[in-house]
Amino acid sequence: MTFLSALLAAEPAQAAAHAAPAAHGAAEAHGPVGEIIQLFGSFGVDGPHLLVQLVNFSILAFILYRFAVKPALGQMEERNRLIEKGLADAQAATQRLAEAQQASDAKLNAAADEAARILAEARNSAKAAVEAAKAEASAAQAEVVAKAKAAIEADRVKMLAEVRGEVSRLVVETAAKVLAENLDDATRGRLNEAAVKQLAR
Amino acid sequence: MSAASVRAEAKRLLALSLEGGAVSSDRVGAVLAALAKSRPAHALRPLLRAYLTNIRRELTRGEARIEHAGPLAAADAEAIAAHFAKHLGRPVRPVTRRNDALLAGFRVRVGDDVTDVSAASRLAALAKSLS
Repeated sequence: MTFLSALLAAEPAQAAAHAAPAAHGAAEAHGPVGEIIQLFGSFGVDGPHLLVQLVNFSILAFILYRFAVKPALGQMEERNRLIEKGLADAQAATQRLAEAQQASDAKLNAAADEAARILAEARNSAKAAVEAAKAEASAAQAEVVAKAKAAIEADRVKMLAEVRGEVSRLVVETAAKVLAENLDDATRGRLNEAAVKQLAR
Repeated sequence: MSAASVRAEAKRLLALSLEGGAVSSDRVGAVLAALAKSRPAHALRPLLRAYLTNIRRELTRGEARIEHAGPLAAADAEAIAAHFAKHLGRPVRPVTRRNDALLAGFRVRVGDDVTDVSAASRLAALAKSLS
C-alpha cells in the first residue's frame, strides 16, 4: 500500500472526527469567507483533503515533469534543433546548388566560348594549311616541270652532241676509207712533196 | 759511286763522245777503251748503263724519225732533216719509215717534239672539231 492510498483510507475517519469541530468552526466563522468555506465543504472539499491532493499533485507533477515532460521537452528541443539544422542545411544546400548551377552555367558559357574560339582557330589554321599546301604543291609542280624541261633540254643537247659526234666519226671514217682506197703512191708522193714544201716555208 | 756522281760522270763522257755536236763512233770507241783500262768491270756497270742512256738520247735528239704514207724521196727526207737541223741548231739526220695509215703526208719526231702534217691527223682534228 502506498503512502497516498493509506492517506486516502485514513481520510473518512479523520473527516468524521473533525466534522463536528468543522461545523463548529463554520458556525463560528461568519461573513463571506465563512460562507465560501461552507460552500466548499458542502461540495466535499475540505482543507486536509485538499492539502493532501495538492501534495499528491505536486509529487505527480514533479515526477511527470522530471521523467516525462522534461525528456519529452528535451527530445522536442533536440528535434526542433535537428529540424532547424536540416532546414538550414537544406537552405544552404539550395543556395550552394544555385551557386553551383551558376558556376556550371558560367563554365558552360566559357566552355562554349572557348570551343567557338578553338573552332574558329582550327578553321583558320586549316584554311592556312590548305593554302600553304596549295602553294607548296604549285611550287613543287613548277620545280618538277622546270627540272623536267632542263632534263629534256640536257638530253636533247646530249643527243645532238652524240649524233653530231657519230656523224663526224662516220664522215671521217668514210673519208679516211675513201682516201685509203683511192690514193695511189703517185698521188701520195705528190702530196708528200707538197707537205715538204709547206714545211719548208 | 753515288747515283748523282754516276750521272755526272756519264754526262761528262757524253760530252767527250760528241764531235761537231753529233755523236762520233770513233770517240765513243775511244771513251769505252779508256774506261775498260781505268776501272774494274763491276765498277763500270752503272756508269756504262748511264752512258748508254745518254748516247741513245743524244742519237734520238739527232734523228728526225719520219713516218710517211706513200713514197718519200730521199731528197725530201733530207730537206725535212735540214729544216729541223736549222730550226734546232744542231745536226739532224733523217730516219724514214713508211706508214700508210697516215693516208698522205708525214709525221716527224725529233727528240720529244712531234710535227704531224699527215692527212690522218687532219681528219682526226676535223672529227674532234665537229664533235
